[in-house]
Amino acid sequence: MSIKTGFISGLVLLFFVLNLPASAQELPPAKCIPQDALICLHLSQPKALLELLAGAEMTEAITSLPLYQQQSSSPKFREFVNTIRFLETSLGTDWRTGLAQLTGGGITVAICPNDTVVAIVDAEDQSLLERLHEIFLSIARAEAAKQGHADRIASKEYDGVTAWTFDGNEAHAIIGKRLILANRAEALKTVLDLRAQKEGATLADSAAYEAAQRAAQAEAVATVFMNLEPFTNLPPVAEVLEKSRNNPLAALFFAGIAESFRSSHWLSVGLDIEGRTLTLDALTDGKVSGETSPAAFALPHKAGDGARPNLSVPRRIAALSLYRDLHDFYAAKDELFPERTSGLIFFENMMGIFFTGRDLTSEVLAETEPEVRLVVAEQQYDPEVGTPQVRLPAFAVILRLRDPEQFGRVAEEAWQKAVGLINFTRGQQALPGLIIDRPAHGQTKFTMAYFSTTDVEDKTKLETRFNVRPALAMPGDYLVLSSTDGLACDLIDALGQGGGAKQAPLAQTHSLLEVDGTQLASVLRANRESMVRQDMVKKGKTKAEAEAGIDLLITVVECIDGAKLDIGTRDGLMAVKLQAQLNLPHP
Amino acid sequence: MIEDKDRKADPNWAWAVYEPDARRPWTGTLAAHLYRRAGFGANWQQLQQAVAEGPQATVSHLLAPGSDVEAFDRTYDGYEGGVGSVNGLRAWWLRRMIETPHPLQEKMTLFWHGHFATNGAALKQTRLMREHLQLLRRHALGSFAFLLQALARDPALLLWLGADANRKAAPNENFARPLMETFTLGPGHFSDDDVREAARAFAGWFVLRDRLRYLPREHDAGTKHILGQAGEFTGEDVIRIVLEQPATPRTLVRKLYRWFICETDEPGEDLTAPLAESLAADYSISAVVETILRSNLFFSSYAYRQRVKSPVEFAVGVIHALEGMVSTTQLGRDVAGLGQDLGHPPTVKGWPDGRYWIDSIMLTRRHNLAWALLQGGDPYGDKLDSWKVAQRHGYADAESAAQFLLELFLQDDLDPDVREMLRRNVREDAHTDSAAALDRLTYAAVTLPEYHLA
Repeated sequence: MSIKTGFISGLVLLFFVLNLPASAQELPPAKCIPQDALICLHLSQPKALLELLAGAEMTEAITSLPLYQQQSSSPKFREFVNTIRFLETSLGTDWRTGLAQLTGGGITVAICPNDTVVAIVDAEDQSLLERLHEIFLSIARAEAAKQGHADRIASKEYDGVTAWTFDGNEAHAIIGKRLILANRAEALKTVLDLRAQKEGATLADSAAYEAAQRAAQAEAVATVFMNLEPFTNLPPVAEVLEKSRNNPLAALFFAGIAESFRSSHWLSVGLDIEGRTLTLDALTDGKVSGETSPAAFALPHKAGDGARPNLSVPRRIAALSLYRDLHDFYAAKDELFPERTSGLIFFENMMGIFFTGRDLTSEVLAETEPEVRLVVAEQQYDPEVGTPQVRLPAFAVILRLRDPEQFGRVAEEAWQKAVGLINFTRGQQALPGLIIDRPAHGQTKFTMAYFSTTDVEDKTKLETRFNVRPALAMPGDYLVLSSTDGLACDLIDALGQGGGAKQAPLAQTHSLLEVDGTQLASVLRANRESMVRQDMVKKGKTKAEAEAGIDLLITVVECIDGAKLDIGTRDGLMAVKLQAQLNLPHP
Repeated sequence: MIEDKDRKADPNWAWAVYEPDARRPWTGTLAAHLYRRAGFGANWQQLQQAVAEGPQATVSHLLAPGSDVEAFDRTYDGYEGGVGSVNGLRAWWLRRMIETPHPLQEKMTLFWHGHFATNGAALKQTRLMREHLQLLRRHALGSFAFLLQALARDPALLLWLGADANRKAAPNENFARPLMETFTLGPGHFSDDDVREAARAFAGWFVLRDRLRYLPREHDAGTKHILGQAGEFTGEDVIRIVLEQPATPRTLVRKLYRWFICETDEPGEDLTAPLAESLAADYSISAVVETILRSNLFFSSYAYRQRVKSPVEFAVGVIHALEGMVSTTQLGRDVAGLGQDLGHPPTVKGWPDGRYWIDSIMLTRRHNLAWALLQGGDPYGDKLDSWKVAQRHGYADAESAAQFLLELFLQDDLDPDVREMLRRNVREDAHTDSAAALDRLTYAAVTLPEYHLA
């Protein structure tokens, strides 16, 4: 397929991907979509999305990419640009305005069983839509003539509507301002039948769709409805959902999510755009409430309970705050992850050693509040000590203790035993061990361990292990277990400056993840060379290709100022909210 | 090709410089043979250039390709600097083999890796294996004497052999024995007493916390009796003494003969004597390799397709010929699955080579690897494209591209009926999908018995 034909087909498909309120004489799109649709995407305000994706800021961001500049000089790209210009001239409008007028009424795309795709696009300008269709017909005929064979364009009247095909496979029809497109003729016929209100149930008649529509925000720019039952029965999806039963960490982190999906019939996702902020709101109808739920350890018991806001530290890349009752979690282990794996047995044995035979559930985990926080931050290195060649971020787990006076000593003893065991094991292999120190940060004395770099000649390319300087600190009621002393100190400051229990919990939120794109990009940039090398041998790329790929990744990450994922319950249903703040350059 | 059976045993004829004539013309067939042995196979440009320049100029180019080798090695040494595992080094080495401007150097590095057979599994630090391989590469075509002296101080080799602690009170024979038995003299040319005495000479050398250390108090300064000589020898003296023995160059030349010429029969002493004498003079590896590569015997039927390609030669050859690059991390794993895990030779004697590379399971695995490389899906993706390579070299239609690919991979070594069948398949399939038809042709070509022979 030539670039021109491909572009035209793509544009036609794009029509299906964007939607506006149905014109007065046409039914709402959902009333023309078959009821067995698996996924239905409805863009009610395509212009809002177009404004963001094709706006001056996004254009500036894309055109400043080295990859774009590199590609823009290629013959294929030039052919693509020429095609756009040809269409602009033929239609007498620029592509942004044309696209807005062609799709401004809305776009609905439905994926149905048997690889059937149906799209309904409502234009604002009927004449523009018809002119574009004529141009496509001319191009298809000219292409066929150029290749020396007859064109495959065909048309047929059906129920007072002219149905067209360019290639004998796709089928489409224009009814007033509406374009209906399907990847096979039978699917178009079904849509036309539903439109004529002949036999057949529509998506709009489905109880699940109705419930999802009620749950979704009315003002959303776009909504997605997904019939979950066929998906949750797919072997790969079922396997993922089942994983949390075999993996204790998955059960801990994804508490409630797998349970909700297992019992859900539908998923509804709404997209909202406000300035540079994109918000995705997802809801399912899977119930996860109740004390008997296997995920009860992650469900706030009282109305005002929930995860605490994340801790803020310098150079923070990501932070996760969880409402998790670790005692209840481990007490329910036989139900949550019934398989006694060798890893689990080893873990329990080690905990028995570290905590001097204390019962892990009732004497260790019971000492913690249902408040678990994790922080990942970029490291700063002291050149006197040395800089590793591969620079890994620091990470820390923060727990709140019920009785820090009594449990602090137990935790300290366990930590020192763990360091001792690491040193003993490394010593057996003739590897250098960690040196334990007890420095103070402000009023807080803490324990840390480090590998000495005294004998290392080249301190600019240290081994990866030098990224680790494990530390245990217990400021106030909190226990901080950090991979570096630097992050431990930052967390002592953050907890002392009101980041601890003084922060009000986020009601009914059990998991809150925040990612800082700028900081993440900074870590990626610091490790750019290592990542380029990895790509070269892992993906067989040339150095230039690998560099372009990594630079693109860094640019994309830089375009996201911050992202926040909030998972909790709303009226007993699982609710997920993802918010992304875009960081686009000013044109 | 030279086919004179009576002259094979005649060293004067065997090692004389090959001069093409009407009876023994220089063709793409012999150029491809030269590149298979002195490298990992040729791509189309190398093949054309070799045919145009003639055998001696091509050998000269293979021995000394020019100044860009140093820059290439420096770049790759830099890439390997951040690698944290032996398998990571394996991936970079395979990539180096595919891209190197000096294939003979990499081929000889592989030869010495099999000869000194150091297994990275015994090493805690990847750095040691990296330095070991760099050492082999640095001396691959240099002086064997320097190479051996350097390896006697190489922590990686000493750790792998269990020779990392050698005390006066209990001399450690773990280096001295393979030194005599495998690296130099060969079995039957030394006694257990020689090994014990040599071990005493090496006493005092340790690898402590992955660094080579010499502890003078642990050195045995007494008189030693080694291979008929007596003196207060050190390790360096032992190396000198074993290199003075006629058995050492003979052993090495036999091994080089097997590597470059033929592994199906053993050469007679008379045949290899001139090479052994040349090697004994200054232990210049490149001089012996040069004599071999320029010789009548090398371009004769006694050498042609008389070696089984190792898994590395097989895989790298396909990729290099198709002028592409694939995930060498994955390739390292797959080649290990074929029996050649770079960085992990199976024993101190290296890989057995020859027919041991091929059995029904390994042959199936080779076919699977070839298909994985060519079919365009996981795990290698669409990095290799037979059709594009043919088009790049001016073969614009499927029929001529098929001829080009058969010439590239098999030259004249194909039964006419098989050749016609393969071309017919392409003719029949090409009108639907030329690229797929040509990938299938390449797959068929590289899985034919002829292609498995170097």
